[in-house]
Amino acid sequence: MNGVKLSRGDTVVWLLAATLLIGLYTVFWQADGHGAEAVVLVNGKRWARLDLFHNQDLKVPGPLGHSRIQVRDGQVRFVDSPCPHKLCVHTGWLSQGGEVAICLPNKVSLQILGNDPRFDAINF
Amino acid sequence: MSHTIQTTRDDYLIAGFAALAITIHIAESALPSPLPGIKPGLANVVTLVVLCRYGWQMAAWVSLLRVLVGSILIGTFLSPTFFLSAAGAFASISVLGLLFALSRTLPGWAVGPMGYGVAAALAHMSGQFWVAYVVFVPHSGLLTLYPLLMTLAAVLGIVSGLLTRIVLARLNNTPSGKRLSDSR
Repeated sequence: MNGVKLSRGDTVVWLLAATLLIGLYTVFWQADGHGAEAVVLVNGKRWARLDLFHNQDLKVPGPLGHSRIQVRDGQVRFVDSPCPHKLCVHTGWLSQGGEVAICLPNKVSLQILGNDPRFDAINF
Repeated sequence: MSHTIQTTRDDYLIAGFAALAITIHIAESALPSPLPGIKPGLANVVTLVVLCRYGWQMAAWVSLLRVLVGSILIGTFLSPTFFLSAAGAFASISVLGLLFALSRTLPGWAVGPMGYGVAAALAHMSGQFWVAYVVFVPHSGLLTLYPLLMTLAAVLGIVSGLLTRIVLARLNNTPSGKRLSDSR
């Protein structure tokens, strides 16, 4: 019993196993939870649909003024909003399917679309 | 109504090895586990030893008897644990059967304990994982865990392969010594 000696058959099995493992990591560990699109709702109605990989800055008109939304490299956030608490801004970047940021005073909301939403429901 | 069942030498061997596997299985179930589904799989060493010494059919008997009797003794019979365990055992014994048949037809490429160990562990993990995923927890989050569990299974498979080799080397007086020639 000196060392690990593998027969030819063993080597083949180990190589197949290694290939299988690499395949599993590439299939199951790719970032497929990322949503590629987001919707902006104003007053409950769809105002825009955003491609998250098309970087842009938007001014969304609400009852209080303009909410500013920024899209950068698959993420989206409120940069500014004319509301007192800035909860929407503090929500930060959204990238996962189903994530939302809402500015209630200005009636603007932002939600990532995804075929596999990470959240079923969110309450505050 | 007298009815005698003719028992063969194989029957006694199966019973003996199954008893050994069941004992290890139960002892192992008492060990704490860091993650559900992760076990050293020491009982599987018995299956591998039987496979290498006596062939696939006996190994299948030992493996399935272990799952059945082991679960009855532990008290998990027909519980989720039992189905996971049975799925793993079925998958593992099927893959072992395939490799065993291939080894028979292509002796130059015969698989030894190290190959059997890894293949059995991966198949066992896959079997129980997919039953867990499809039947018990159909949540896509579980899939993230799959590559990780399979990696652990491969490592534990190597360990059980090594143990099998050591056990085989110690069991010197073997009737089918040819299969052991590489592990002496």
